[in-house]
Amino acid sequence: MAVEATEKPALLCGDAVELDAEGRAHLIGGLCVDCGHRTFPRAPVCCGCMSENIVPAPMPRTGTLYAFSTVHVAAKKWHKPMCVGYVDLPNGARVFTHLRGDLTIGDDVDVEIAIVGEDENGAIETFVFKRSAP
Amino acid sequence: MTGVSVIGVGMIPFGKYPDTNIADLGWPAVKAAIKDANIDPKRIDAVYSGTARGGAMVGQRIMGRIGLAGLPIVNVENACSSSSGALAQGVIAIASGAYDVVLVIGVEKLTKFGGGTLPLDEDDWEVRLGLSMPALYAMRAQRYMHDYGVTAEQIAGISVKNRSNGTRNPDAQMKKEVTIAEVLGSRMIADPFTLLQCCPTGDGAAAIILASDHVARQFRSDPIAVRASHLTSGKFMSGFRDMTSPEITVRGAKETFEEAGLGPEDIDVAEVHDAFSIAELLYYEAFGFCPRGEGAALLESGATKIGGRIPINPSGGLLAKGHPVGATGAAQVVEIVRQLRGEAGPRQVEGARIGLSHATGGGISGFDHGACSIHIFQR
Repeated sequence: MAVEATEKPALLCGDAVELDAEGRAHLIGGLCVDCGHRTFPRAPVCCGCMSENIVPAPMPRTGTLYAFSTVHVAAKKWHKPMCVGYVDLPNGARVFTHLRGDLTIGDDVDVEIAIVGEDENGAIETFVFKRSAP
Repeated sequence: MTGVSVIGVGMIPFGKYPDTNIADLGWPAVKAAIKDANIDPKRIDAVYSGTARGGAMVGQRIMGRIGLAGLPIVNVENACSSSSGALAQGVIAIASGAYDVVLVIGVEKLTKFGGGTLPLDEDDWEVRLGLSMPALYAMRAQRYMHDYGVTAEQIAGISVKNRSNGTRNPDAQMKKEVTIAEVLGSRMIADPFTLLQCCPTGDGAAAIILASDHVARQFRSDPIAVRASHLTSGKFMSGFRDMTSPEITVRGAKETFEEAGLGPEDIDVAEVHDAFSIAELLYYEAFGFCPRGEGAALLESGATKIGGRIPINPSGGLLAKGHPVGATGAAQVVEIVRQLRGEAGPRQVEGARIGLSHATGGGISGFDHGACSIHIFQR
């Protein structure tokens, strides 16, 4: 699962997302080798057992929308209104994320990459979730 | 351990003071508290000063202004719990026997940021991705509406109540009644919150003088006892957490009531952290003033209005009195002390004997909130 060579802007979320050969986005979280705790984003130390033996681990691409809000007042750099929320992944991790499309709490949502704003360096691109195809 | 009492309180009216230095926001509150306590300022043994965004050495800057430096001064940063956290440290210091008299300060100048939402630390993962305090509370509101079938209009009722209380408080930043239609019709900030459901940006300062029980009556005949003083942090949770039941306040409330040997039914008046309209509803439930899911019904019953069974935020709360972040916890205590002394004028809760203050905040990834400090006072 290599990062696709691209001329797109640097991702706001750094190495927390990778694109596969088909161009599909995958969130890369952390797996604690010692206790099995999974987190997103990956941290250098485990919040469950303090182990530093953490390896990158792809996260499920589909989760459940826990809560969200359409935000009209935010820093200049964000495209507004911006929809943000928390998505619960089936492996136990919760992800704060930008969202796309008409949504309802409890929807299944899939991860992809999108431009969510613009700053002095150009477009801001990061992972977003949108409703899964039925 | 000696008991601890409040012998003096003071604050400046919350509002916008863009041309005033933070030291000059702070000292008038300190001077007012010293006068209120009827104490020779040389009797102050130590100072705990809380500010979230005021910068370094704010306590020294304030005390230097009025010629009272040269004693232990500790500066406390704990987001919205900065001055309530400072108060908790002051209580511990007196209870331990280290000091007899402690000054607690809370001060903040938010107008220096020029408006907009409270700036958060971009070093934080979720903040970098766009999380803000309105967005965080708005998600709580959305999930609460989803889980309990409550409407945006019901939540907006908190703003109507607290703005009404603010009209009775000369220290409040917002002093105008608003209707449900005006609240819902104001500018959309973060769905479901309109502008009037968000605490205003402003500046302010408040001060408290604490004394050990064995010296308190040298200064005032009516010291207000600290029945419980609690400070905790949120738990870090990388996965699921129920955003409709803030664990930091639920746990903090339980531990505070245990410390006081009291329960929610014993509280006559409370100042809780209504940074956004939904927050007050969630805290009704977190403190056990009503069962889960019944916050809106409690509000609509009138129980939390002045004159009701359990008046909440008679000062106007953060929504009307204002929320200069680091000053809030101390200002809540100013209100509770005035209520328990019977000095609250047109917003007096009749017969109030036991009061509670609650300041919680800090928007960081993985935490419900960073900090929460709860106090219970008794006359």
